[in-house]
Amino acid sequence: MSVLAKPLAGAHAHEEHDHEAELRKENLLLDPKPRGEMNAMVMDMMGGTTWKFWLVAAIMGALVLWGVFYSWGVMIIEGLGIAGVNQPVYWGLFLVHTVFWIGISHAGTFVSALLRVFKAEFRRPFTRAAELMTTFALAQAGIMIFAHMGRVWLAYWMFPLPNQRQLWTNFHSPLMWDFLAINTYLLSSTMYLYLPLIPDLAMARDRSTGWRKKVYSIMALGWRGTEGEWTHLRTALNIFAFAILPIMFSVHTIVSWDFAVATRPFWNSTIFGPYFVVGAIHSGVAAVAMVLVVLRATIRNMDYFLRPQHFDILGKLILIISMAWAYFFFNDLMVQWYGGDKWTSELLHFHEAGKWGWIWFLMLICNVAIPWLTLWNKKIRRSPWLLFTIGLLINVGMWAERFIIVPVSLAINRTPFRWGDYEAGVEVPIFIGSLALFILLYMLASRILPLVPVWEVQEGQMAHSIRRYGKEPVVTVSDLE
Amino acid sequence: MTETTEKNMLLALFEDVDPAAHAVDKLRTLGLDNEHVNVISGTPITEAMLGRPHQKTNIPRMAMAGATGGLLVGIFFAFGTPALYPVYVGGQPLFAVPPSVVVMFELTMLGIMISTFLGVFLDSHFPSYGPKVYVPEISDGYIALLIDCPEEQEDEVKKAMTEVGAASVKYAEVQAL
Repeated sequence: MSVLAKPLAGAHAHEEHDHEAELRKENLLLDPKPRGEMNAMVMDMMGGTTWKFWLVAAIMGALVLWGVFYSWGVMIIEGLGIAGVNQPVYWGLFLVHTVFWIGISHAGTFVSALLRVFKAEFRRPFTRAAELMTTFALAQAGIMIFAHMGRVWLAYWMFPLPNQRQLWTNFHSPLMWDFLAINTYLLSSTMYLYLPLIPDLAMARDRSTGWRKKVYSIMALGWRGTEGEWTHLRTALNIFAFAILPIMFSVHTIVSWDFAVATRPFWNSTIFGPYFVVGAIHSGVAAVAMVLVVLRATIRNMDYFLRPQHFDILGKLILIISMAWAYFFFNDLMVQWYGGDKWTSELLHFHEAGKWGWIWFLMLICNVAIPWLTLWNKKIRRSPWLLFTIGLLINVGMWAERFIIVPVSLAINRTPFRWGDYEAGVEVPIFIGSLALFILLYMLASRILPLVPVWEVQEGQMAHSIRRYGKEPVVTVSDLE
Repeated sequence: MTETTEKNMLLALFEDVDPAAHAVDKLRTLGLDNEHVNVISGTPITEAMLGRPHQKTNIPRMAMAGATGGLLVGIFFAFGTPALYPVYVGGQPLFAVPPSVVVMFELTMLGIMISTFLGVFLDSHFPSYGPKVYVPEISDGYIALLIDCPEEQEDEVKKAMTEVGAASVKYAEVQAL
C-alpha cells in the first residue's frame, strides 16, 4: 500500500502546486513583483521608442494635417456647403461622428468608475488606458461639433455672455444641454484621469532625468505619499467614481434627446436615452478591448500587466452589453412598428429595404450576431486578436447604428416632397483626421504618461492571496480600503 | 541637492507593513506618540493597518459646497438669465422646469467635481515644490516613518527601529521635489 500511496500523494501535491501556479499565471494580482521592478517596467514602457513608432506617428500626423487642418480649413473658407449636409438631411456625418466619439468616451468612465464602485479588481491595470480614451475621444467629439457649426468662429455665442445683439443663450435648447453636459464630462473625466496619475507621476519623477524629470516634477505637484495625501486622494477618487457615473449617463441621454425631443418619426422615442447609453457602452468597451490588445502587442512589459484573463472578462462584458443593446433596439423597434404611424412605418421600411438597407443589416450583424456567435467561447475571448477583430466589428456596427439614426432617418419625413438623399463630402477627411489625431494623442501619451497605475496594481496585489480551502487553493481578496 | 532637516529627524524605512506597524507600537512605548511620527508610503497604507488615528479630510465638505455653488449657478442660468434677457422662442414659456432640471443637474455635478479636485489641492497643499523630507525609495514600495524625537533619545529609537526590522534608519534629509 505504501508503495502505491507515495506516488499518489506526490502526484496530488504536484497537482495542487500546478493549480496554484496556474492561478498565479492567470491573475496579475496573485503574481506580484517587487514594486521597484514594476516601476522599472513601467518606466521602460515610456522609453526606447523605435523607428516604427515614429513612422506610424508621422503617418498619423500627416493625416491630422490633411484631415483636421487642411480639410477643415478649406471648409471654413468655402463654407459648410462643401459638406454633404443639405435639406432635408441637415445633420450628416459630423453628428454621426459626434455620437460615435462620445460613445467611445464612455469606456473610460464605465471601466474605471463603475468597476471601482463595485470593487471589480481586474480593472486595476487598465483603468488609465481606458480613462485616456475618454479624454481623447471627447476631444474628437469636440472637433466634430465645432466642424458641424460651420461658422466655428462664432462658437462663443454658446457662452452666456451679455451682448449688444440681444442674442442670449437659450438654456431650454437641447443643444445647450449638450454644451453643458459634454463640457462637464470632459472636465470631470480629465480631472478623474489626473488625480490617480499623481502618485505615478511622482514615481516617474523619482526615476527620470533631464526634461522628463522637470515635467514629472511639475505634474506631480510635490507629491510624497504622506498619510494625509493618500487620504485626500482616496476620498476624492471615491467621490469622483460615484459622481461621474450619473454624468456619464446624462451625457449620452442628453445626446439622445437632441433627437428624441424632436417630433420626427422614429426619433421621438422615450427609450432613446437608455438605448443610446447602452450603445455608447457597447462601442466603448469594445474600443477598450481593441486598445488593450494593441498596447499589449506593441508596448514592452505590457504582457505582464495585461493577461488573457482581462480579455476574457472584457469579452464577457461585451457579450452582456450586446444583449442589453439588442433588448433596447428591439424594444424601440417593436413599439414604433406596432404603433402604426404611417410615416414611422415608411421610415422603418426605408431603414431595412431602402438605399441604405445594407447598413441596417450590417448594424445587426456586427452588434448582435457576431458577439453572440463568438463570445460565448472562452478560447475566442482569450485570444487577443480575435477579440480585437470583434471589437472592431462592433464599432463598425455602432457607427452603422448612428448612421441609420442620423442621415438615413432624416431622408424620410412627413412631407414626401421634401424627401432627399445624403452624400458625404468633407466630413470624411475630417473624420479620418480626427481618428488619426486620437491615435496620435494616444501614442504620444503612451511615451509620456505611465499607462499602468502601478500603485493601484500593487494595492490590488497586497489585497490578494491564495488560501487553502481543504486541499483546494482559493483566491482570497481583502478589502483594504 | 539634499540637506538634513533643521531639527534632526529620523527616517526609518521598512520593506513591509508588518514591521512598520510594530515600529509604530514600539515608538509609542518609547513615549513617541502619533504627532511625533509621520508615515510616507508609495502605496496607500491605511491608518488602520499601522494602528494610527484616522486622517481628517475636508474634501466631502468641499464637494457639498461645490454642489451648492453649482446648483446656484444652474438656477441662475436656468431662471435668472431668461429674466434678465428674455428671448421668446415659438411661444414657449420663459421659465420651464423640465429643461431647467437638466441645466441645474449638470452644473451641480460640475460643482462637485471641480470642488473635489480643488479640495485635493487645498487639503494637500499642492502644488508644493519646496524642499521636503523624502527619499525615492518610498515610491519603490518602502514605508517611511519620519520620527521627531529628542536628541537624547535618538540612539534608543535607532536601535528599536532596527530591532523591529527597519531596512535603514538615518537622519531625514530634505530635497526639492
